[in-house]
Amino acid sequence: MLRRTFLTAAAALPLAGRAVAQTEDAPIKLRELYEGRQLSALGEDLLGERITVEGYMAPPLKADSQFFVLTKMPMAVCPFCETSAEWPDDIVAIYTKRTVDVIPFNVGIDTTGILEWGEYRDPDTGFVSMLRLTDATYG
Amino acid sequence: MLKGDPMKTISVSAVALLAAGAVSAQGLPQADSDWFVAGETTIQEILDRQPNTNTARNVILMVADGNGVGTNYATRLFMGQQEGGLGEDYVLPFETTDWAAALVKTYNINAQTPDSAPTAGAMNTGVKQRFNLINLGEEAIHDDCSTVEGNELTLLSEMMTEAGRSVGIVSTARVTHATPAAVYAKTANRNWEDSVPEDCTAQADIATQLIDAMEAGIIDLAMGGGARHFLPEGTDGGRRTDGVNLVERATGLGAQWATNTEEFEGLTLDGETPILALFEDSHMQYEYDRTDEPSISEMTAAAIEYLSQNEEGYFLEVEAGRVDHASHAGNLFRTLTDGAAFMEAVATADEMTDDSDTLIIVTADHEHALAFNGYCGRGSDITGLCYGIAQEGIEHTDEPNLGSDGLPYTVAGFLNGAGSVLVEQLPEEGETEAPTETETGEASPEESAPIYSGSRSELTQEEATDPDYLQQALIPMSSETHSGEDVAVYAKGPFAHLFDGTIEQNVIFHVMNHAAFKSAE
Repeated sequence: MLRRTFLTAAAALPLAGRAVAQTEDAPIKLRELYEGRQLSALGEDLLGERITVEGYMAPPLKADSQFFVLTKMPMAVCPFCETSAEWPDDIVAIYTKRTVDVIPFNVGIDTTGILEWGEYRDPDTGFVSMLRLTDATYG
Repeated sequence: MLKGDPMKTISVSAVALLAAGAVSAQGLPQADSDWFVAGETTIQEILDRQPNTNTARNVILMVADGNGVGTNYATRLFMGQQEGGLGEDYVLPFETTDWAAALVKTYNINAQTPDSAPTAGAMNTGVKQRFNLINLGEEAIHDDCSTVEGNELTLLSEMMTEAGRSVGIVSTARVTHATPAAVYAKTANRNWEDSVPEDCTAQADIATQLIDAMEAGIIDLAMGGGARHFLPEGTDGGRRTDGVNLVERATGLGAQWATNTEEFEGLTLDGETPILALFEDSHMQYEYDRTDEPSISEMTAAAIEYLSQNEEGYFLEVEAGRVDHASHAGNLFRTLTDGAAFMEAVATADEMTDDSDTLIIVTADHEHALAFNGYCGRGSDITGLCYGIAQEGIEHTDEPNLGSDGLPYTVAGFLNGAGSVLVEQLPEEGETEAPTETETGEASPEESAPIYSGSRSELTQEEATDPDYLQQALIPMSSETHSGEDVAVYAKGPFAHLFDGTIEQNVIFHVMNHAAFKSAE
């Protein structure tokens, strides 16, 4: 019935175990790709490479798309902090191989894809990103 | 010497030694204990207090948003541990005997759990207000512009201006956000930061009200975030749909304008030329993530230097706005790093002012749904796991305490929020909707709430103390909530001793009013 029963110890908590994707190298923390609002030295080194990044899937902007935003912490939406949805500065836009299968916003995931840097406006959502993982898989 | 004892913060005065000696003469076996001596010293310091009944030329109201008694406790431990101590015995800048203190009841007229708008309004007007509106009387209704007229309250800032004093605002949130807005704005909705409903003519939006107040000479200095509410759409992230550029209007009035550290350092702190310094489109960055913008302590110092030029005195409100936001996110680490930055600002304000003529008040507007587990040994990291209590010695054991599920748990947790251990269960591939409680027979057909379930994970100290960790929470919510629990108020300077016992939040205004005005009558 429930394909993803998000009550296993491995996947239930922020920063707890990761659900599926594993690569040979240990995943990178999302924050390690940024220095302030700029790409970090590590990020520079990894541009064009296929890497795995820890993070959380923000609630998708559009159903049945191949795009979601990876955040370093669960994307809490605070009505007293903001009058509308606000994106943190340090996020990664994810362009996936397959249509996105939604994962709750507070379940940690590993996402693997090719790291790209540079301004890009998503044609469907208008979302402007600087840092992306393309041809990505996640879980 | 006890490890983690209070002696580092308490000077052993001759009086204290005499007092301890006197007790020793009575033969108490504990009379030589450092704790006993320190206790006697504290009593003597309290006995030595003399009420300060001077008129307060200056009033500084410092609000850490969401920093109730529990959050303040966590910040105390965090700062002590950051400095290499165990934490529990650490003394925050206002936790010495030269500060008066009271507990504060924070509810709003119609809300057991308050929000930051009416709570800040209560402090700035002397009366409780209704949820989500600012500085309107009790007949006004949230989001109803028609109830604005006739319900506008007089503000402490206006009274200060009338008396020839200067007024400044410092916030790490947007300067149009609830707490700073309460210094100058009167609005039926705290969210009307850059616009009001089309048919609303009784009030302007909050950003416009700030520049109106600056033009009227009520606000002399405003530092914080929120530039987007002052700029027209299409201009540097501006959100104003009326096309008005309030920054140009302010600079046209002669105001100085700053957006980054370099421009901040270049401001002329002459006390005459108004200052509008907005370092972010929205809120300023968390202290942990801060780049190219001043700290709250640096802004406080600049504001005091600027406002002190007025010999008649000043009113300054300082808000650590992002303490609240980090708790809403469920990320205690940033709550505490911003809390520690606030403490530095308090120390700065205290150092730069004279108790004889400056009333400093340190408080919070409300608490959060933060709670603490037990039984943790001394020195357990306030952001990390709850370790056992040592049978011998002082510091905690190396073994984390376990719940009945056999898993470790953190010292602190939230009752609700994004860190919930209950996670939404999503549909099988090919299904269009998640199963609901209706399908499982656990809810009536009218209800179709998604199913949440989960359990706690094996948590390590490394994971729990990660700066991006969200403490475990119970009820799943997209944002952790405030709570109605009391906050504390601390004060020193003229009439600080009026803070005593348990008071309503609006009493804070009355102490400021008495110290600044009535005492001189």
